[in-house]
Amino acid sequence: MLTLIDVKKHFGSKDVIKGVSLQIERGESFGLLGPNGAGKSTLIAMICGLISYDAGSIQIDGKPVSKHMHATKKIIGVVPQDIALYPTMSAIDNLVFWGKMYGLKTKMVKTRAREVLEVVGLTERAKDRIETFSGGMKRRINIGAALMHKPELLIMDEPTVGIDPQSRNHILETVKKLNEQGMTVIYTSHYMEEVDYLCKRIAIMDNGKLIASGTKKDLSNRLAGGTVLKLLIEKIEPEFIEKLKVLKGIETVIVQTSNEIHVHMETEMELVSEIILLASQLDVKIRNMHLEEANLETLFLQLTGRTLRE
Amino acid sequence: MKSFLIARKDVQIMLKDKKAFLMMILMPIVLTAILGTALKGMMGESKMPETIVGIYTVESSVLVDTVIESLSEEDLAITMKQAESDKQLQEWIARKDVHVGVRVPKNWGNDATRNRATVVPISGQESAATIIQQLFEAFAQSANIIASSTEKVMEQAIAVSMQGNPVQMDAMQTELGETMQAVIVEQQDYVTEKSIGDETVSAMQYYAAAMGAMFLLFNAMHGGKTFHRERQTETMARVLMTPSSPWSFLAGKFMGTFFFAFLQFTVFLIATHFLLQVNWGSNSLQVFFIVFFYCIAVAGLSMIVAAFTTDEKMADVVGSLGVQVLALLGGSMLPLTLFPAALRKIAMLTPNSWALDSFTSIMSGTDWSALWMPATVLLGIGILSILLSMVKFRRQVL
Repeated sequence: MLTLIDVKKHFGSKDVIKGVSLQIERGESFGLLGPNGAGKSTLIAMICGLISYDAGSIQIDGKPVSKHMHATKKIIGVVPQDIALYPTMSAIDNLVFWGKMYGLKTKMVKTRAREVLEVVGLTERAKDRIETFSGGMKRRINIGAALMHKPELLIMDEPTVGIDPQSRNHILETVKKLNEQGMTVIYTSHYMEEVDYLCKRIAIMDNGKLIASGTKKDLSNRLAGGTVLKLLIEKIEPEFIEKLKVLKGIETVIVQTSNEIHVHMETEMELVSEIILLASQLDVKIRNMHLEEANLETLFLQLTGRTLRE
Repeated sequence: MKSFLIARKDVQIMLKDKKAFLMMILMPIVLTAILGTALKGMMGESKMPETIVGIYTVESSVLVDTVIESLSEEDLAITMKQAESDKQLQEWIARKDVHVGVRVPKNWGNDATRNRATVVPISGQESAATIIQQLFEAFAQSANIIASSTEKVMEQAIAVSMQGNPVQMDAMQTELGETMQAVIVEQQDYVTEKSIGDETVSAMQYYAAAMGAMFLLFNAMHGGKTFHRERQTETMARVLMTPSSPWSFLAGKFMGTFFFAFLQFTVFLIATHFLLQVNWGSNSLQVFFIVFFYCIAVAGLSMIVAAFTTDEKMADVVGSLGVQVLALLGGSMLPLTLFPAALRKIAMLTPNSWALDSFTSIMSGTDWSALWMPATVLLGIGILSILLSMVKFRRQVL
């Protein structure tokens, strides 16, 4: 359904998107992971036609977005990162407004607004002003506004930022249902677990580039080690780090803070004993140690040296 | 179509905004009431306070009768009350039945040193007494001029008759006296005050027009602020992600400001008419004709505020200052007639001065021909503002 071929964008002298290519199939639920400033929102803005791209091509159903802007916008529903609603207007008035902006006729727009209110679970608050809603409720109406015109492609830019767990669950369930009904979903987030729950295919983005993409299984296979050893030590000695890196079975060593290092490794117990022995030989005092299964976040850390929420 | 949706939404939001309602609708009505009442008299619509003059004349004469008759004219707001006796006049003064008492002696006007009239004010009416005294003196002096002029002419006539030509002395004297008298009485008509139309504009009318013109300007600031708010809250980006162009968004914002300004003025006009009895002139169509073009100018200025400010706070500061400067320069706070000529010329650059001038002209009963010029200027301001803001917007990423 959506194809991006070597898409580039720069603002002034800064390259914000550095040649992104990806393919999303109809009915798919696609996750776009990346920290703040990775370029996710810019990429979305280009897909929606909000900003132009400098090079490459973005196509929906084989048609370039830049040449079929009007038709493209009609089939895309966008849930912005911010609550892009009018706070002094009621929930239903907001939905009616956005429905009409997508060309819905006056006769059917109210009926559709009530349907959407039911989908987002806010029927009883239809006539209340948005400004009286909780953060989670606002987020749900924010999603509802994007659903008014029954889009074929729903793009959600971090739709669960700063909300309570109950609203987050409601949103995730709603998105899952919509996808099950056939709607194509692009879900961007820096919450690994949300993407993990909703999406079959995932792309990880950093610094304007896709640094990894594929199914969850593909990405798991790319993980450098099945286990991460998190060491809390009194003081990091450069010699200790260097000697750790050359130990057999260790993939990478990442210095997290002045007294925390993460060791990605293939095997477990034998290596752990070797690490403890090495520390003792170099007089490095280990205060705490913790073993974890590697996941998407670990992969991101492994690929970029940073955490998703940095 | 999309522009109308955006405009309708903006008006809807404004109508729900209690703060904006107070600022845009209630404030101008309250200020009109306060300023119109407080500055009543400044505009020349009020009459002099009524002064009751008690007068006793020891001996009736043509001059005294003329004085009484002249001072009794309606325009002067003086009531002449003739006493039967000196005693009665004293009683009136004692009882404060009159504001000023005047005793006119025998042969008043003939001999200034011996036969002076006496003017007695009651407490608090000293200034009225001074005016009455000056009026009597002016009449006496005029009478003396007439008398001496008549005397000179008569002397010349006698000289002519001595040469054998018969002259009708009595008839001539009477005719001369009457002519001179008429000249004195006619003096009041040499200078006259006239408004643009047939009607005089009262302070309440002026300040209704001035406040209406001023508070409509606040829409320029508000329009600019809502533009930035939409940009900041991403609603603008969301609108642009719908099948609408950036220009239809801008057109919607322009129309939203225009419609609200028009609605605001209509409410203001109705409220001032029914609550403050402001007469907006005999032709409402003329008023709405100017309001239409003024709203175009104001909506255009809102685009300027949006284009040349960076955020809502800046739009607020720039807009507030701009409105106050325009209000001051445009005569919304003080009538332009009080301004020096240079400032009056600068005022012609402000849209509110054109609107205000047009409103007051309509109130005084002007005709359509006088309104084409201000309408063209206001339309020009609106178009120029739109063009300037479009140039600026083209350079920005909407």
